[in-house]
Amino acid sequence: MTAQTHLPKIMPYGDHAMLVDWSIGEFSETINDAVHALAAKLRQSGKYSEIVPGYDSLVCVFDLAVRTGETTKRHIEDILKQNLSRKTEVDQIAEIPVHYGGENGPDMERICRAAKLSVGEVIALHSRETYRVCMMGFIPGFTFLSPAPQALHHPRLETPRAKVPAGSIGIANWQTGIYGLESPGGWQIIGRTPLSIFDSKRDTPFLLNAGDRVRFVPQ
Amino acid sequence: MTLTVLHSGTQTLIMDAGRPGHRHQGIPGGGAADKLSFAIANHLVGNRWDTPALECALGGLHIRFEKNHIIALSGAQMWSQNQGLNLPLNKAVPVEAGDILTMSFTRAGCRAYLAIAGGIEAEPFMGSVSTYMPAKLGGLDGEALKTGAVLRIGPKQDEPQSLPKGHTPILSNHVVLRAQQGPEWEALSDSAKRYLFTTPFYATAATDRMGTRLKGDQLTLENPVNMTSSPLLPGSLQVPPDGQPILALVDGHCTGGYARALQVIQADLWLLGQIAPGAAISFRRSLAEDAAAVLKRKNSFYADLIPGFSF
Repeated sequence: MTAQTHLPKIMPYGDHAMLVDWSIGEFSETINDAVHALAAKLRQSGKYSEIVPGYDSLVCVFDLAVRTGETTKRHIEDILKQNLSRKTEVDQIAEIPVHYGGENGPDMERICRAAKLSVGEVIALHSRETYRVCMMGFIPGFTFLSPAPQALHHPRLETPRAKVPAGSIGIANWQTGIYGLESPGGWQIIGRTPLSIFDSKRDTPFLLNAGDRVRFVPQ
Repeated sequence: MTLTVLHSGTQTLIMDAGRPGHRHQGIPGGGAADKLSFAIANHLVGNRWDTPALECALGGLHIRFEKNHIIALSGAQMWSQNQGLNLPLNKAVPVEAGDILTMSFTRAGCRAYLAIAGGIEAEPFMGSVSTYMPAKLGGLDGEALKTGAVLRIGPKQDEPQSLPKGHTPILSNHVVLRAQQGPEWEALSDSAKRYLFTTPFYATAATDRMGTRLKGDQLTLENPVNMTSSPLLPGSLQVPPDGQPILALVDGHCTGGYARALQVIQADLWLLGQIAPGAAISFRRSLAEDAAAVLKRKNSFYADLIPGFSF
């Protein structure tokens, strides 16, 4: 299935934003490419206060005093009619050291039970993949990666935690990702990296960017 | 041109109009949580509406002025006094070197804004001095003001102004927000759809600039939603599987994974900054065709008074 044959739904998100939603219930690199290509075009237009791409969705925030939802929707439809192919540039494969389990991964046991695997097997599975950085967001430096191996898929916590430490590595359904900062959050935490993903004092505050490749190295 | 923080209060932050346009990097626009009260305070002392000012949540701020200044307070009523004399809200007043201003605890609303002619000077990050504590950005070292902090005041901009009668917002401990259906509205059960617009919710102690966990009737989901993380905006009401909704506020997460049930309309976003723990919150249905007219009325109400400001 390609992004061209699978047209997204475009629907109002309240009175001052539009949601473009491709969601097909699974991860698709083609769709994630289309999301970022649409984001780039919308950003070029300079008409929107925020353009926030996701895995398979995008939110475009406008000023209701200046534009209507209808004109925004038409603008998005016009862009989608063009060919949104985008070459994915792989800038680097970042190696992320991870301390799995124990106090660094309080949800490791739950994932092991659900997957009927040992801690070692879960670590081996999770660190085997080379992941793609699909989006950044949630909080500064939160890194959303391409799917974790099927056996590790697990729903979010019923009630989100008030505090998840910076560097925590978690699972939410098929997603896996890294908390760039301490924050509240509902992902199942299986490990933690000592690397600082976001540091406002550095020349380049973000360690990773959408499009990068990432590999976890168990410590 | 300085002032000294004698007591930092519950949480006092340096704020301006924020740093919009970076949500795709996970950095919320932030800025003054109640943009209207912030703009009014600045306008009264002769500052541009988006000049850095102090945002004091809940109360308790005590400061000493080291020079003569013009100041104005707006937003939550905290029974502030200068040298023991009551200070009016929404009025520019002079203070003298050595004067001590004290703010008590809020009676209605959550945040008071203290603007000083010339504004607070601080180091900007991504074009804004607004404090964003989760990432330690802006303000003084990205943190809330500490007792003993010394703040620099910028050069005076313009003459003090006054607001015509009827232009100052009246805050209440029952915050009524107009909202429209969010993208996952259909995931709610029929009873949840009914409760959302009919019964009040209460802001729990888990309330800060990022969001407020609400307590109220259990909101059930028709089907469990195992969402892929998707963008989230301030004013979005999310419903996790436990049925206790979370309202995203000005520093709210840029993406979320729980059902987005409601979205507060643009004209009412400023009120999100006045939700104190314990406040009652009601959602009122806003029809799609009404929201633009509501916003236009509110913008034109302040357009001639506060240059450059809009909701």
